[in-house]
Amino acid sequence: MTASPLSHKALIATLCVGVAVLLIASVAVGYAPLDLGAAIADLAAGRQTLPALVLAELRLPRAILGAAVGFSLGITGAALQGLMRNPLADPGVVGVSGAAALGAVVAFYFGFSSAFALALPLGGLIGAGLSTAFLLTLAGRGAGTATLILAGVALSSLSGALTALALNLAPSPYAALEVVFWLMGSLSDRSLAHVALALPFMAVGWALVLTTGRALDALTLGEDAAASLGFPLRRVRLLVIGGTAMAVGASVAVAGAIGFVGLVVPHLMRPFVGHRPGRLLLASGLAGAALTLGADIAVRLIPTRPELKLGVVTALIGAPFFLALLRHLKVDGE
Amino acid sequence: MKQLAVALVALLFCAGATQAKPARVASLNLCADELVLRLADPGQVASVTFLARDPRSSNVAALARQVPVNRGLAEEIVPLAPDLVIVGAYTTRTTTALLRRLGLEVLELGVPQTLDEAYDQIRLVAARLGTPERGAALVDEMEAAFAHLPAPAAQPPSAIVLRPNGFTAGRGSLPGEVMARAGLDNLAARLATDRLGQLALEEVVWAQPDVLVVNAAPDAPPSLADDLLTHPALAAFRSSGRSVSLPIRLWTCVGPQLAEAAARLAAAADTVAKAATETAAPPPGGPPSAPSRIQTALPTTGEAAR
Repeated sequence: MTASPLSHKALIATLCVGVAVLLIASVAVGYAPLDLGAAIADLAAGRQTLPALVLAELRLPRAILGAAVGFSLGITGAALQGLMRNPLADPGVVGVSGAAALGAVVAFYFGFSSAFALALPLGGLIGAGLSTAFLLTLAGRGAGTATLILAGVALSSLSGALTALALNLAPSPYAALEVVFWLMGSLSDRSLAHVALALPFMAVGWALVLTTGRALDALTLGEDAAASLGFPLRRVRLLVIGGTAMAVGASVAVAGAIGFVGLVVPHLMRPFVGHRPGRLLLASGLAGAALTLGADIAVRLIPTRPELKLGVVTALIGAPFFLALLRHLKVDGE
Repeated sequence: MKQLAVALVALLFCAGATQAKPARVASLNLCADELVLRLADPGQVASVTFLARDPRSSNVAALARQVPVNRGLAEEIVPLAPDLVIVGAYTTRTTTALLRRLGLEVLELGVPQTLDEAYDQIRLVAARLGTPERGAALVDEMEAAFAHLPAPAAQPPSAIVLRPNGFTAGRGSLPGEVMARAGLDNLAARLATDRLGQLALEEVVWAQPDVLVVNAAPDAPPSLADDLLTHPALAAFRSSGRSVSLPIRLWTCVGPQLAEAAARLAAAADTVAKAATETAAPPPGGPPSAPSRIQTALPTTGEAAR
C-alpha cells in the first residue's frame, strides 16, 4: 500500500489523457483520406458534407464503441479477479463473453432483434448473466483456481459450440461464415445505432461494478472480515454479476467476443494502484479502453483486406501474457 | 457397393459414345443448374443442386422443383449413373475429383468475365447436351435484349456495386460489363483489387458514386453481411434516390436475367443523368425531389429500392 491518493489521481488522469489521445487517433485513422479539422467543423456547423458524414456515421461510432467495449472488459476483468480472488478470471477466459455471444447470436439470427431492437443487447445480457452467476456459485462453493478455470474453459467451449450450432441452423446463408465475428470480435462498420443500443446498458453495468470497489478491498481480508465490515458477500456477488452481465453482454452483442483485454489489463494496472482491487476497477476500465482502441487502430493500419478481427490482435498480445502468467503462478504455488 | 459397380459398368458402356446426346445429366453448381434446366430436354436432367430451388438465389426455381436435387456429394451423384456431370470450376472440388477418378464424364464450367465468354458457355453447354439450337436461340435472345438498351451517355454516371459483407464487382467481371452496357461507369474497377474485391464502407461513401447498386434481397434472413447494406452511412444514397436495389441472382449466373439486370441499371443511369442535368439548370419552382422519380422510373418487380 505504497500508492498515495495523489498518485492514484495522477494515474487516473494519465489514463484519461491516454484514452482521449487514442480516441482522437482512432477517429483520425481510416480508409478515406479524411481532413479531420474540416470534418469536425462541418459536423459542428451542421453541414451535411461528405467528411462530416464519414466522421459521424463511421469513425465516431467505431471510436466510441472501442473505448466503451474496452472499458467494459477491463473493469469486469478487474471485478471478477477481485471477487473470485483469482488472477486468471477474465470475461473471455471464464466463458462469460462466449455465453454472451451465444445469447446475442440467438437474438440476432432468429429474427428477435429485427422485431425488437433491444433483443440484441438483452440476448447478450442473459448469456453473460447466466454464465457469471454459474461461475460465482462455483467460486462460492470454495472451488480453487484450477476448478474455476477448467469450468470456464468448459463453458467457453460449450458456448462456442452452441454458437456454431445456432449459426449453422440459422436461415441466413452468411450465418455460418459470421461465427468468426462472434468468436473474435470486430468494430468495423458499426453505426451510431449500435452505440445507442449498447452504451446505456454498459454504463449501468460500469456503475454497478464501481459500487463494489470498497467491498472488494474488504474482501482481501477474507469473506468473514468483509462481512463484519458491513459488506455481505451475497450483495457484492449480485452487483458484480449484474454489472458484468450488462457491460459484457452489451459489448459482445455489438462487437463480438474480444478476448484477453479483461485478463491482461488488471495485471498491468495492479502495481500502479498499490494492489487494491477497489482502485483497480477504474484504472483497469480506462486501460482496457486504451488497449482496445490501440488494437482497433492496429487492425486498420495492418494492410490485410478484409481487415483482421479485433480478437486476433488482442490474442496476439494477450496469449503470450497469459502463458507468462501461468508460469509465474506455478512458480508461486510451488 | 453394388450400386457403385453398376454405375461403373454403366460408365464404361457410355464411354464409347461420349459425344452422343447424354440421357442423364447431373449438375453440381448453381450456374450450371440454370443452364442445364434452360437448355436440356425435359427428362434429360437427373439432378441439380438444392440451391436451384431457392428463389432468392436461383432464376429457375420453378423448373428445379420438377427434378431431384443434390447437395454436391459424390454419394448422391454416383447412384444416378449420369452420363454427363456439369460442375463449376471453383465449387465441389473434392466431389469433382472423385467423380473424375471413377471415370464419369465431367464438364467443368469457369466463371465468364465477359458477355462473349457467357455466350460461348451457353453454346458449349447446349452442344454437349445435344440441343445446340436452344443454345443459339438463348444467345440470340440475350443479344437482342442487350442491343435494345439505350446508348450510354457521353459522360456515364459512376456506380459502385455493394454486396453483403462489403463485396463489390471489380474490374474484369461479368457484372462490370453488364454495368458498362447499361451506361454506368464502374468506380469499383479503380478501387477494388480484383474481380470480387471487398470494400470498406468508408471507401464506398468516400468515392461518391452517382449510383449505388445494392445487391440485397429485401426478404433475406438477418445476417451481419446484409446488415452492412442498411448502414446509416448509406442513408444519403437512399434518401436522394441514388440507390438501386438489384437482386444478386440477376447477374451471378449466365442467362437471360443478365439482360434484365442491364435494363434495370440502364433505367437508373438514365434517371440519375436526367436529375444531374436538371440540378445543373434548375427550372423555376425548384426541381422535383429525385427519390420519387427514381422509384417510379425503375421497373422494380416487387423489390423496391430500399
